[in-house]
Amino acid sequence: MTDRPIAEAPPRRLRLRPRGGRAFLIAPPVLVVLAVMVAPIVLIALYSVDVKTNLPFTPTKFTWSMWKDFLPPSGKFPNPFWHRFEISMVITVVVSLIAVAAAYPLAYFLAFVSRRSRYTLLLLILAPFFTSYLLRVIAWKIMLSNHGVINTALWDIHLRSHGDGLPWLIYSKFSVGLVLFYSWVPFVAVPIFVLLDRLDPNLLEAAQDLGAGRVTTFLRVTLPLSLPGVIAGFVFVLIPTTGEFITPLLVGGPGSQMFGNSIQSFFQDTPNWNYGAVLALWLVGVVFVMLLVFGRFLATDLREANS
Amino acid sequence: MSAAVGRLGKVILGGYFGLMVVFLYVPLVVLVIFAFNNAYIPALPYSGFTTKWFHAAFSNTDLTGALKRSAWLALLNGAAASLLGVAAALAMTGRRLFLRSVWTTLLLLPLVVPYIVLAIGMVIVIHQLGYQASLTAVLAGHIVISLPYSILVIVPRLRTLDESIVEAARDLGADNVRAFLLVTLPLIVPALISSALICFTISFDEFAIASFLAPPGSPTYPVFLYSGTRTPALEPQVIALGAIVVVFSIVLVVAGDVSRRVLERRLAT
Amino acid sequence: MGAAGLGGAVLLGACGSSGSSGGNSPSPTTKRPPIGKEPGKLSILEWDGYQAFGTPTNKKAGGLIAGEDYTKKYGADGLTYSLIVNDSEALNKVRSGQQFDVIHPCIENLQDYVHDGLVQPWNTDLIPSFKNLNPALVKGGQLDGQQYFIPWDWGYGSVIYRTDKVDPADATGWELFWNPKYKGRISMWNGNTTNFEIAALKLGYGGKAMDHLSDDQLNNAKNALIEQYPLNKFLWSSEYSDLQPALQNGDVWVAYSWQDQWVYAKEKHLPMAYMNPSQGRLGWYCGFMLGKDTKNYYHAHEYVESFVNHKSCLSLTNLFAYGSADATIEPSEITNKAVAKSLDIGNPNVLSSADVHLQSWEPNEAAVQQAWEEVTASAG
Repeated sequence: MTDRPIAEAPPRRLRLRPRGGRAFLIAPPVLVVLAVMVAPIVLIALYSVDVKTNLPFTPTKFTWSMWKDFLPPSGKFPNPFWHRFEISMVITVVVSLIAVAAAYPLAYFLAFVSRRSRYTLLLLILAPFFTSYLLRVIAWKIMLSNHGVINTALWDIHLRSHGDGLPWLIYSKFSVGLVLFYSWVPFVAVPIFVLLDRLDPNLLEAAQDLGAGRVTTFLRVTLPLSLPGVIAGFVFVLIPTTGEFITPLLVGGPGSQMFGNSIQSFFQDTPNWNYGAVLALWLVGVVFVMLLVFGRFLATDLREANS
Repeated sequence: MSAAVGRLGKVILGGYFGLMVVFLYVPLVVLVIFAFNNAYIPALPYSGFTTKWFHAAFSNTDLTGALKRSAWLALLNGAAASLLGVAAALAMTGRRLFLRSVWTTLLLLPLVVPYIVLAIGMVIVIHQLGYQASLTAVLAGHIVISLPYSILVIVPRLRTLDESIVEAARDLGADNVRAFLLVTLPLIVPALISSALICFTISFDEFAIASFLAPPGSPTYPVFLYSGTRTPALEPQVIALGAIVVVFSIVLVVAGDVSRRVLERRLAT
Repeated sequence: MGAAGLGGAVLLGACGSSGSSGGNSPSPTTKRPPIGKEPGKLSILEWDGYQAFGTPTNKKAGGLIAGEDYTKKYGADGLTYSLIVNDSEALNKVRSGQQFDVIHPCIENLQDYVHDGLVQPWNTDLIPSFKNLNPALVKGGQLDGQQYFIPWDWGYGSVIYRTDKVDPADATGWELFWNPKYKGRISMWNGNTTNFEIAALKLGYGGKAMDHLSDDQLNNAKNALIEQYPLNKFLWSSEYSDLQPALQNGDVWVAYSWQDQWVYAKEKHLPMAYMNPSQGRLGWYCGFMLGKDTKNYYHAHEYVESFVNHKSCLSLTNLFAYGSADATIEPSEITNKAVAKSLDIGNPNVLSSADVHLQSWEPNEAAVQQAWEEVTASAG
């Protein structure tokens, strides 16, 4: 996208343009988003304060009670759903951090070692990301399950006695974290790579001419300059995994279900959609705050990518 | 690039990169290998080579039906989301747009709203309106979640176009629509193809919305896939067809990228 | 639409033009097209394993032959099944507006379906085998003088365990699920309210109390389940893909189950026992309900007839060792007499005996479900 069709634009002529121009074209997409996304979220909000309900023959009356019940401090006992939220966020943040740490060397390799073939190699690590998410989780289930590929291989080479699977390999926080990491790590490498790739090589050489070693150069020049990409990559994992529920459903156990699973379960197995709405709206709020905090890094990154 | 990495560093980074590639591909390769495994449960030792699951999968009309359903849905989604994406991108890159940042934020918002929340929100809306869950509802949901991706692909391409070409067309007598069709559109074709492909993939792969909104008896492919993993008789068929889908999508991604680069190079010169 | 439809129904009823023969038949609603004019594509909410014979998942000889008469006559292509994992999910699906022609819930939710206006009464005259069904179960399926529920299958819920792994001294009652010795080898069912009944039995709230828990009892049961929940390896959702392989290959030693899994284990000569807990077993019966807005009124009746007829009921009993509502099954027709005797499957009246706790309607079901969500959210 770096190649511009015409190198230098001629000076613009003064010309009266038709009023509004193509601005009206914004209407159809905006209307679709309002109808299909904003309206449902508004209804979720109404459910969460009991103005609407799915429970038959139950009177509706505005109340904050479910919000008060959910949000801490809620009396002596921590609310179980708040507890679930905390555990879920720990999984999310840990996975995001590890993914960034693992993706950085990938991006570094692509940007500085594989000069000519870097786009091909980037495609190589990105391609699995574009295959079905569900199929990738299923593939991992084949690997991890009690009588799955890894355990049966361990038995075959007599590292463990037959029939005795590694207890933490599946239905655990480990399995959930591993599959989430697997799913997102290629994607994290992209924004980091974009920034590293645009780094002016003269900067690094200048640093070394001034006597800095490679490590110092990396710590003082490269890393700080690539930080926006690192943060963007972090957010690329953080935001989607905050609402995750499929991976825990397939490879998670009793202790490793995430906040999204509580939401799904409320709407699938109980008539109390109102409480589920509280959890759902909270999730939207949390993601929105993440966006406010990290949004400018994403914007930087997009501008970089677009230029 | 000696300033960034030394010889040893190159070796270590190269080795690490290689290991990550292995890590990324092993589960997919295992999936493909076990598609040919002559047993119901995918486990070692390998029980022998067979292609019977492929035959079984292709003669299972529920499975192929779900696949076709999802393909149609994804095609429609690719077209509809890209169309709306072009409209939005044209407006967003235009000189005048009232409340530009508001619309931009709104249109990019689906990027961050968790699909599960969107799914249940739509369930509530449909319930309130007294409608039934339907594939149309699934499509509507998919269009909304694909739209930001379409916009993010098309806007940069529009920005790189020089307005003066379009203006030149107008000076030569073309009206807005014609200028768009004759000048702008051909130049953004690569971006449109990317957009349609990405939107296709998003819809084809989407589980949360479809699992809540696909009507009984009309599951999308991911919904069928999920239920297939819960039915031992179906699991090998699901794996067999899954292997094909994985291989096919990797080929498609590579081919798509190569053709995009070729096209862009051609347009650039 | 609702009010107009109702008005029309009353009018039709007054004119007696619906051709119903009175007695047990439902109050006529709208004028229905004859069976030949119906779309004929039945949408059925079912448990996995009950698909009619002739459908893709139940084709091989030796399968459950229920539904065979229907698929022979109308073909199997028109049948679509939506599979449910537990009773709450079924009710929630129907409540959220998904429409089905035939639903297969259990008796515990009869009131919910009827009171929420999700179903309509059957016309039992259209189900010839109805007269053979056990009167007690039939009566249980009536509400407001209408037959909303055609009973079909019944059985138990209890603990199944590996006799080679579990110390017999530990296998006395439901408390086995709470035994930390078997942490990571236990699998309860992903069947929310049932787990509260189990906790209630363990805590001594048996019989009617099990389904009428006071706030305190509910809280105690919840705390007991919060204690139990982390001991599970996983909660099983599918009998055939989660529970059966895990029991078979030894990943799970102790599980909640219906008797069919024990019968299966016996056939395979696996070392498993089906407990008769000191607190008593759970009991259940399920049957068919008719979707409120079905366009396949007559098809639905024929479909259900093909399930409750004699040979289908017999197949159900001989294949899964479930009891059936058919009161005309002779002991001589049952193939595995030892199993039949030990489970007393010829006699549905055991469901009302002292050591079987029939899973019944819970007035505070929503609170119980909410509490179950809290249990699952509390772990780890």
